[in-house]
Amino acid sequence: MIRLLVEKELREIIGSAKFAVSFAVCSLLIILSFYSGATNYKNTVTQYEAAKRANFRQMEGVTDWFSVRNHRIFLPPQPLATLVSGISNDIGRTIKVEGRGELDAVDSRYNDEPAFAVFRFLDLEFIFQIVLSLFAIVFAYDAINGEKEQGTLRLSFANAVPKEKYILGKLIGTFTSLAVPLLVPILIGCLLLPALGVALTGSEWTRLALIILAGLLYFGVFLSLSVCVSALTHRSSSSFLLLLVVWIFAVLIIPRASVLLAGRAVDVPSVDELASQKIRFSSQLWKEDRAQMAAFKGTSSDPMKQFEEFQQMMQKQNDERDKKMQEFSGALNEDRENKQRVQQRLALSIARISPSAVFSMAAASLASTSLDLKDQFRNEATAYQKSYAAFIKAKTGLVPGGRMVVMRQEIGGGKPKPIDPYELPAFKYNPQSTRDALNNSLFNLGLLFVFNIIFFAGAYIAFLRYDVR
Amino acid sequence: MFKTLVQKELKSILLSPKFTATFAVCTLLMLLSTYIGINEYRSSVKQFETAQQLVSQELRQANSWMGMNNRIFRRPDPMQIFVTGITNDIGRWSRVDDFNPIKLQHSSYSDDPIFAVFRFIDFTFIVQIVLSLLALLFTYDAINGERESGTLKLVFSNAIPRVHYTVAKFTGSWLGLVIPLTIPTAMCALLILLYKVPFTAAHWGAFGALLGASLLYFTFFIALGLFVSAITRHSNVSFLVSFVVWIVAVLIIPRAGVIAAGNIVHVPSVAEIEGQRDSYAKDKWEQLNQESQKLFENRREAVTGMSEEEKKKYEDDHMWTAMLLQDSLRNNTEKEINSYSVKLNEDLRNKKAEQEQLGFALSRLSPASAYQLTVMKLARTDIGLKSTYEDVLNSYRTTFTNYIEKKQKESGQEGGIRITMDSEKGFSFSAPRERGTLDITGIPQFDYTLQQAGFPLVDMGILFFFSAIAFMGAFIGFLKYDVR
Repeated sequence: MIRLLVEKELREIIGSAKFAVSFAVCSLLIILSFYSGATNYKNTVTQYEAAKRANFRQMEGVTDWFSVRNHRIFLPPQPLATLVSGISNDIGRTIKVEGRGELDAVDSRYNDEPAFAVFRFLDLEFIFQIVLSLFAIVFAYDAINGEKEQGTLRLSFANAVPKEKYILGKLIGTFTSLAVPLLVPILIGCLLLPALGVALTGSEWTRLALIILAGLLYFGVFLSLSVCVSALTHRSSSSFLLLLVVWIFAVLIIPRASVLLAGRAVDVPSVDELASQKIRFSSQLWKEDRAQMAAFKGTSSDPMKQFEEFQQMMQKQNDERDKKMQEFSGALNEDRENKQRVQQRLALSIARISPSAVFSMAAASLASTSLDLKDQFRNEATAYQKSYAAFIKAKTGLVPGGRMVVMRQEIGGGKPKPIDPYELPAFKYNPQSTRDALNNSLFNLGLLFVFNIIFFAGAYIAFLRYDVR
Repeated sequence: MFKTLVQKELKSILLSPKFTATFAVCTLLMLLSTYIGINEYRSSVKQFETAQQLVSQELRQANSWMGMNNRIFRRPDPMQIFVTGITNDIGRWSRVDDFNPIKLQHSSYSDDPIFAVFRFIDFTFIVQIVLSLLALLFTYDAINGERESGTLKLVFSNAIPRVHYTVAKFTGSWLGLVIPLTIPTAMCALLILLYKVPFTAAHWGAFGALLGASLLYFTFFIALGLFVSAITRHSNVSFLVSFVVWIVAVLIIPRAGVIAAGNIVHVPSVAEIEGQRDSYAKDKWEQLNQESQKLFENRREAVTGMSEEEKKKYEDDHMWTAMLLQDSLRNNTEKEINSYSVKLNEDLRNKKAEQEQLGFALSRLSPASAYQLTVMKLARTDIGLKSTYEDVLNSYRTTFTNYIEKKQKESGQEGGIRITMDSEKGFSFSAPRERGTLDITGIPQFDYTLQQAGFPLVDMGILFFFSAIAFMGAFIGFLKYDVR
């Protein structure tokens, strides 16, 4: 019986003009999102490579490693970030590295290219979150009450059809007829990526598969919700209006409101206050060190040896000053980060009322474009700074950065040999591992599944009480 | 007859449950977005004022004009309550000093990325997404719905000109649906007054124009709904067609236009430009070092063979000239680096402008883009915001650095450390005596008066054009419609 009902549902939906139009539009949009993601990725890779080359070019001709200034490292483009943007376009992508001192990521994509901030990107996340959820509503808002209005529901129940089997058949048929065909354009999109030169690793393919799974679960949420609302109302116009209002709140309002509520509830010190405190502290330390420098008395009579002693003293001062600065900044930063984390946890917890927010979070975690991205880049940069400092110290005997005066003496005449900037340790960005990404998204994936069950159960129970006449 | 038809249309809309739900949702959303916008604006103003105070404090605590720098923050604009635009995507402040070019950095979203996860909801967003969808919801079955229910046939059993009917349908729908827009908007204006948001006459003018643009945008979707209803026989078909058109026009075309432009016109990244600038600067400083070295060698050669007294006299006679020459060479080097930086930034800006013009031209195929661009320009939260600020900051930088240079000369270049190496006296380090803080009252203040934004005539014209086309389409479609 269920099989018959499912087949009936499949035939009805797939044979309808609504399906043909909707499927065509969805397929086009899904393929377009993969295409635009691939081309966007290639453009950002071109920009990234050019920035790296320019970085090395500015070191060409330099003859002393200590004169290397303005060495920059960049956040490399990630292929999945073009399918699920997350916050990847909002955070800084460039960090200027010195041997010591705090690292500051600047030049976000939207700040550099504000035209993209006006309308933002057409990515897979957007297609699932906005477009497919609307189409789910359009298909299923009259799943029950539409048949009642047409009179076919009464006819179906003129036979000995158990209500539970009917609603089960309806739900399974609706989901199968809509979700399964979507796999076709998704597969085409996935094949388009390597065809357009976007090479994904095995781990990235796994994550992409999970993102698609999350998308299908999210689609299922709105399908089952629509059937549920259809089973709670007697007129299709009422169910559509109600679903539209629910969609507006779930997709557009709740996620944003949750962030704003959390912003009000948890006070996080502003970056400006912190920056000002750090500047004042740094000035204070420099004032103390300058007084120490002025009081310097060398032990040797040779001016060159005296200067060497002075340089060693400055290096020691730099190290101590750096340590104090790190402790001070570290305490301030830790306090801010802790409060930010509380704020974020609160915002995301409230937002989880909305399946749209849950999907967004799951997809961003899997694509490594969630809030962790900023911390990940900073942590990787901090680790790199240590290897950079060690390299320069090995070459020059001094750690660059901070306030120092350096005099380099050339002995033996002749033009010094320029450095090879490619000797510098390369910055290798390690994105979050697949295991960590999966762990971070597991709860949200589970929540999407739970939403499906809840609305499925809601539709089931509502229909058992439905007046089919 | 026309009045009767309009009244009939108005009654059917106002008395439908759809209207109550729409009105309630729109009112709630608009009031909520305005309330949130006001709170966000107030907290931006507080943040701005705090930042300014902190910067003033840093300046007051400085005890040397050498290396003096300033930080200028963008001032929040009250219109961002209604149109966020790119306010939170572009940098909030720029350093102003002799060494670094002007660059707005640290956007609100980059500092607090939690707000970037779901972004802000503003008045524009509600009109652009929600109201347009609701407008279609009301009008998609305006004609074919009546045909399906049999009332169209009844209406035309009377001698009613089709022209009158179409215009009355449009007018009645427009009047009925403009209520969920204008009444909440008036309530939003009341909120502005209640919370004493500092709206000037210019702001009220912009708000009025924003309302006008929203009405025009709304009108397009009413006309579109009528048009689709007038060219289809069944309401479920017109619903689907309207829905697909909405998705493509509101969600797809705006994004696709800019993305296409991004693929056609390639713009180098800021990091690449900075790398080129640093490379040029490095070469110039290297050149300066070599010239300085040559001058030093020449002076050393000139005193070869002189007695100690003669050397001292020569140095005393030529010291000032040497210092002036060194200063001049340094200034020339800095000027050349600055000019090169300006040229690079100009090239970058031109390429970006080309990309933006193409992107926005393509996206203007959609009235949603035209609407978005219109309101952003009215609220001064469009992409011109960044370049406007940077231009004004560049002028301020010149004024500021000239003042600092003057002050450095007046104070005798004090503040810098001096290291001397002498074969007789040996090595010595000196730093000037602390003279306490400086008198910063004369430091030029940044003028926040930005040029008035021009009226977005082109985009308003596009909105009007789209509305007219859709209405003409509905008109012509209905003239040929089979009412049976």
